[in-house]
Amino acid sequence: MELLLTNLGHGFAVALTVNNILFCLLGCLIGTAIGVLPGIGPVATISLLLPITFGQPATTAIIMLAGIYYGAQYGGSTTAILLNLPGEVSSVVTTLEGYKMARNGRAGAALTIAALGSFFAGTVATVLVAASGPLLTSVALSFGPADYFSLMLLGLIISAVLAQGSVLKSVGMVVLGVALGLVGTDVQTGQQRFTFGVPELSDGVGFVSIAMGMFGIAEIILNLERPEQRSVLAAKVGSLFLTKEEFSRATPAVLRGTVVGSLLGILPGGGAALASFGSYMMERKMSRGRAEFGNGAIEGVAGPESANNAASQTSFIPLLTLGIPANAVMALMVGALIIQGIQPGPRMVEAQPDLFWGLIASMWIGNLMLLVINLPMIGMWVKLLQVPYKYLYPSILVFCAIGVYSLSNNVFDVYQTVLFGFVGYIFSKLKMEPAPLLIGFVLGPMMEEHLRRAMLLSRGDVMVFVERPISASMLAIAAAAMIAMLLPSLRKGKDKALAE
Amino acid sequence: MRFKAGTVRRRGVIAGLSAIAMVGAPAFAQAWPSQPIRLIVPFAPGGTTDLVARLIAQGLGERLGQPVIIENRAGAGAMVGSEFVARAAPDGHTLVMSNIASHAISPSLYPANTVRYDAVRDFTHVALVTSNPSVWVAHRGAGITDLATLRARATAAPQGLDVASSGAGSSNHLLIVQLAQLAGIDLHHVPFRGAGPAMTAVIAGQVPLMSDSLPSAAAHIRGGSVRAIAMCSAERHPSFPEVATFREQGVDLVCDSWFGLSGPAGLPAAIVAKLNAEVRAVLATADVRARYAEFGGTPGTLDAAGFTRFVAEEFARWAPVVRASGAEAG
Repeated sequence: MELLLTNLGHGFAVALTVNNILFCLLGCLIGTAIGVLPGIGPVATISLLLPITFGQPATTAIIMLAGIYYGAQYGGSTTAILLNLPGEVSSVVTTLEGYKMARNGRAGAALTIAALGSFFAGTVATVLVAASGPLLTSVALSFGPADYFSLMLLGLIISAVLAQGSVLKSVGMVVLGVALGLVGTDVQTGQQRFTFGVPELSDGVGFVSIAMGMFGIAEIILNLERPEQRSVLAAKVGSLFLTKEEFSRATPAVLRGTVVGSLLGILPGGGAALASFGSYMMERKMSRGRAEFGNGAIEGVAGPESANNAASQTSFIPLLTLGIPANAVMALMVGALIIQGIQPGPRMVEAQPDLFWGLIASMWIGNLMLLVINLPMIGMWVKLLQVPYKYLYPSILVFCAIGVYSLSNNVFDVYQTVLFGFVGYIFSKLKMEPAPLLIGFVLGPMMEEHLRRAMLLSRGDVMVFVERPISASMLAIAAAAMIAMLLPSLRKGKDKALAE
Repeated sequence: MRFKAGTVRRRGVIAGLSAIAMVGAPAFAQAWPSQPIRLIVPFAPGGTTDLVARLIAQGLGERLGQPVIIENRAGAGAMVGSEFVARAAPDGHTLVMSNIASHAISPSLYPANTVRYDAVRDFTHVALVTSNPSVWVAHRGAGITDLATLRARATAAPQGLDVASSGAGSSNHLLIVQLAQLAGIDLHHVPFRGAGPAMTAVIAGQVPLMSDSLPSAAAHIRGGSVRAIAMCSAERHPSFPEVATFREQGVDLVCDSWFGLSGPAGLPAAIVAKLNAEVRAVLATADVRARYAEFGGTPGTLDAAGFTRFVAEEFARWAPVVRASGAEAG
């Protein structure tokens, strides 16, 4: 404990130099901005800004890049809530309740709780990184392919069980999402699946294209059908402050989201996306306001927003303790470190104490900065809702196009987005929700990969899924959820609860 | 080349126009380079190819008097970005970070109708930038310390010994196929999505062995989280003199992953000569040498003609191995 405090003191001494504070602030500002702009994500931004950091010491460079990453998690909720446009995988679920809240005239409250929840979760997760990083790494390492598969199966089943409206439709959307996820190069054999000879499809359909098309562009087309009813919405934008009831409902959701997010963030490959999905499902099942889900429940914003920020901090753990990047952003951090002459690896904590502890201390400072940057600006963002459609929509479309193009500098991705925009429009006409599709799209391919790897390692013996304790307990919970869904009396209760 | 001539011309014109728009200067000026150079990295940012490119981009830009801008165009085993350069105007302002995937393996791996360039004829190969060997590493508790123990374990395992790689069809996967053939043992390939997840599985002991490229394995070998079994190089590697080669241990398994600089076919000879000289000058600087050495990369010294021969040999070497691996896509 004493050692931890000494180390943290050292970290703050590093992070609080004028230069490091300035770059932390710069990173947070850029991160917020790209989070707000739909489509332009941290991966594209960090790769563009990488050369700027070459002239700085390694610690300063990483502090700034990390600021961009978690800053984007803060900013990403803004467009999700106001415009139904998830810029990041992790803010998909925020659209579900957040956008409904905005439509109910509670946009300000949704943004406030997103910022407060993110701050709380970020602070707690940073403590976790500092105190038990190495310990948590060994937990993550004990997850084998069979365990991952069962965890994801559980996720998919729970998302179907808890879907609102027709179970049949949501199961259909999950399956369609899984099918879309199969497009591309098969990991096990290198075979091209469903690519129809299009080389751009060999790495699969782009997530951002689907998310932006199905949510953002489809929403714009839908709104064009309706006469502009903005005056009503704008008049009700009102207070940024939470009511007493909202606050007491959101608090437990933030706490649960922080725990779920911190844990799922450590798992390689999962990160912020899995965390926000996980938290959303949990809130739907457990929170006091679960009956309100689908109509703008504040728990549905508070939980996932806390979870994705907690996860974005803890996803540094595999990088800092093992030298293994958990996602694309972390892979860029590895690149930045190597260019700086530092080999990320298991010995980094001992070999580079300045970097390790300085980065951790800067996360606290950065989270505080983000709160200060974001809270006063919420009023400004909410005013965005008063911009007339004829200016707002063309600008959104332009930003979307730029964002999608910047992913791999390829026009193909833009066409893809347009296509999914029309598909999303048709789906919403058919009253089919796009969220289960995205969950299937994200989880499906990971599930397949882990299933096949588990089978490959066990030489085709399916018992591996029940022999491992982690896997077996996940499967047991999944089976219980299935039975609960099939029992008629329980199902009636659920429909009633969801209909209210 | 399989694409229609019309498309090429139109793309060329568009590229030219956007280049003019980008810098606002005439694109037809005589002196080269007259505008920023786009260096296409055919993989996502953060990988080894991206890193190698970024390490030379700055020095190269300073020497040429125009910035060298990295542009990542990933996809189709590095073929999307390479095809883009094959179709670009041969004016020396659009180059690609060519590599063992884009110019030696992917063209044989992918179905013929998706391969839209000839790895040798559709490019002007300018300079070999760096190359590094592959290395085999084992889980610390797996009891595998060298080729002999590896062989013993593989013989004892009734259904083959598991070996992880960064992906199906990668050079490291093909090495597993080659070692199984050369040593006459049964190896069971377990592909992952990238070197990171594969290394995690080896550290955790889910898979006992991995065939990896030195840059992604170097820190783990130095940090002691995995044990190096054998290096796939002709001589012992200067940064890892304690790791014996496969050749010393009785199996002739040598594989370098390489990264080079290439442009579209028909690049003027003067530009090729100047670019080759400047790349080698940058590679000779102490800073760049040190950075490459850290992850086990040896700077390239070939002239343009030598590099062109090298690419052709690599392409010819890997085509039959790809077929033998059964990893042919499509």
